[in-house]
Amino acid sequence: MTEPPAPTLAAEAEAFHLAFFHHPPPAEVVERYIAANLHCLGESALDPTSSAVVRRHLDPEAVELVLRLRGPSRLTQKIQILFYLAEVRSENYGFFASQGESLPAALLALIASVLRSAWKFLKGHYLVRRYRLV
Amino acid sequence: MFDAIVVGSGAAGVAAARALSGTRSILVLDVGHRPPPLPDTEGTLNELRQHSPDLFHFLIGERFESLHNLHNPPVSLKLKAPLMTYILRDAATLSPHRATAFQAVMSFAAGGLANAWGAGVYRFTPSDLTDFPVTRAQLDPFYDDVGAHIGISGEDDDLFPLFGHEPVLQPPVQLSRFAADLLRGYRRRKPGLAAQGISLGRTRLAVLTRPHNNRPVYRYGNYEFFRPYDRAIYNPAFTLDELIAANRIVYEPRHLAASYREHSDHVEVISRHTETGEIQRFQGRTLILAAGAINSAKLVLQSNRDHDTRLPLLDNPMACLPLFRLNRIGQALEPSDSSLGQLNLICRHDGLVLQGSIYGGPGPLRSDLIFQLPFAIGANLSLLRRLAVATGLLMMFYPCDPVAGNDLRLAPDGVLEIRCGTKPLLPARDVLLKAMRSMGCVASAAMWQYPAMGAGIHYAGTLPMRTQPGRYQLDPAGRLSGTRRIFVADGAAFPRLPAKNLTYTIMANAARIASSIPFEAL
Repeated sequence: MTEPPAPTLAAEAEAFHLAFFHHPPPAEVVERYIAANLHCLGESALDPTSSAVVRRHLDPEAVELVLRLRGPSRLTQKIQILFYLAEVRSENYGFFASQGESLPAALLALIASVLRSAWKFLKGHYLVRRYRLV
Repeated sequence: MFDAIVVGSGAAGVAAARALSGTRSILVLDVGHRPPPLPDTEGTLNELRQHSPDLFHFLIGERFESLHNLHNPPVSLKLKAPLMTYILRDAATLSPHRATAFQAVMSFAAGGLANAWGAGVYRFTPSDLTDFPVTRAQLDPFYDDVGAHIGISGEDDDLFPLFGHEPVLQPPVQLSRFAADLLRGYRRRKPGLAAQGISLGRTRLAVLTRPHNNRPVYRYGNYEFFRPYDRAIYNPAFTLDELIAANRIVYEPRHLAASYREHSDHVEVISRHTETGEIQRFQGRTLILAAGAINSAKLVLQSNRDHDTRLPLLDNPMACLPLFRLNRIGQALEPSDSSLGQLNLICRHDGLVLQGSIYGGPGPLRSDLIFQLPFAIGANLSLLRRLAVATGLLMMFYPCDPVAGNDLRLAPDGVLEIRCGTKPLLPARDVLLKAMRSMGCVASAAMWQYPAMGAGIHYAGTLPMRTQPGRYQLDPAGRLSGTRRIFVADGAAFPRLPAKNLTYTIMANAARIASSIPFEAL
């Protein structure tokens, strides 16, 4: 039986938003996420890999990195859709625009981000293999 | 019957119509898409993003227009925001094409592709005009007139030899912190850079820093990627509207010119109404084609029922280099900003003159860029956030001469076939990289990006002017060879492309061609 798209996509919106923006998405972002998925991805809006990431509570950032580095990925497209919808809301302004920090603090943060990226890559690699996500 | 029928309302069409209006009866035939009603926005985009709870309708769009590149062949980030989509609307159906190794962008908007242009305005030097059967002295009065009409800001600096004298020059636009740093770095290293053939200076822009012709000054709102018709940034649609309001032209929008037929005493233009499909015929003593280099060529081939001839096609090859300034990392965004070109760089290399435009300021949405970086999303976001003020982009343009294999043809099914069979050579990248580093930028050879041919959107050369024109070429007055009453006023007329935005020269040349039509002798 085919999964109904709206509840599955709503669950994705909530899981991804929480993972990247650390708070649940407003209702209109969820509605827009569902509509945008259907508009942009059509029948591919229901993606088994993305569904598995949500259902198993896996780290979407880690899995997405590994899949993106292998080539175009539906999970990347879905997270990108969510980012577009989140970026245009003032509550997320601080995630997208610097409000000023010292040069040493910024450099340390950048180094930490890149190191964290390496960790995410290893973790993603493990998750993709462990759960056979491709 | 009109004295002249002008096809198209882009830079060439309005310049030709304006040159003739007042003394001649003019009909402008145009598809003429317009933007949707524009919202009132207070303050800058950065302020709006901080304080407006939800900008979905403005920045993303009801039909998810800004997500275009996620599921379609990509278009420039400047052409996909909901208020900007009118610029490319219906282009695929009104002028279908098949392209090989060429990214063709066409507009049927009133004002044409200049609705999203960078507003750079540069006179061609005598050296740029090599192979043109027109001299700088012949063009200068028309440059002067067009420049006075559109308003130009800039400064006479080290680029003066290449940009030349502009009789009326408004003060330049204010530099971003990135560009100001770069200019200081250049001034410190000037002698060494000059020895390498590198000069840097302020961009000449058709952007007002003083009120001019009932148009206001530029407000640094940084809306260039999202909102058209900033009246401080010249758009040919402004001139079109002025001519319509003053009853100096007859304007027929929603008309797609399909072909023309020349008779002994007039030209007949056959057009199709884009909404009703009705075929209409218009008569004029002359026809001025100004539909853009690609579509003017298509009209000529279509009118001659020629499905064999391949016409040359020019566009400036490009190479882009992201630049970083370490001292600016982590700084807050500037409340007032601009996505306009800030500086120009000239590189003289092996007898070639290359030109670069340097952009600073965070124009597009971060979501357009986050997934292009090679790290985890969190790291990419952190990089973009902290590097926004520290980042610029050098867009290098290379000159273009006609090359076998870069051409277009009208296929028997009515579709344009455009091909680019020759990969461009992009010299001097090492010199440029070294120069940018010596000005204090961090950059790496691995970061060079090469947009597809056609991405420069400086299309030209399909019906070139020649002293002794052959078939599908123009005489120095812009008249199509073998005709008496058909003139071509757009970039199609250029026999070659120097490494410069061509719009100013298109306008000056279109005004020259229109002004020199010998109506009395026809």
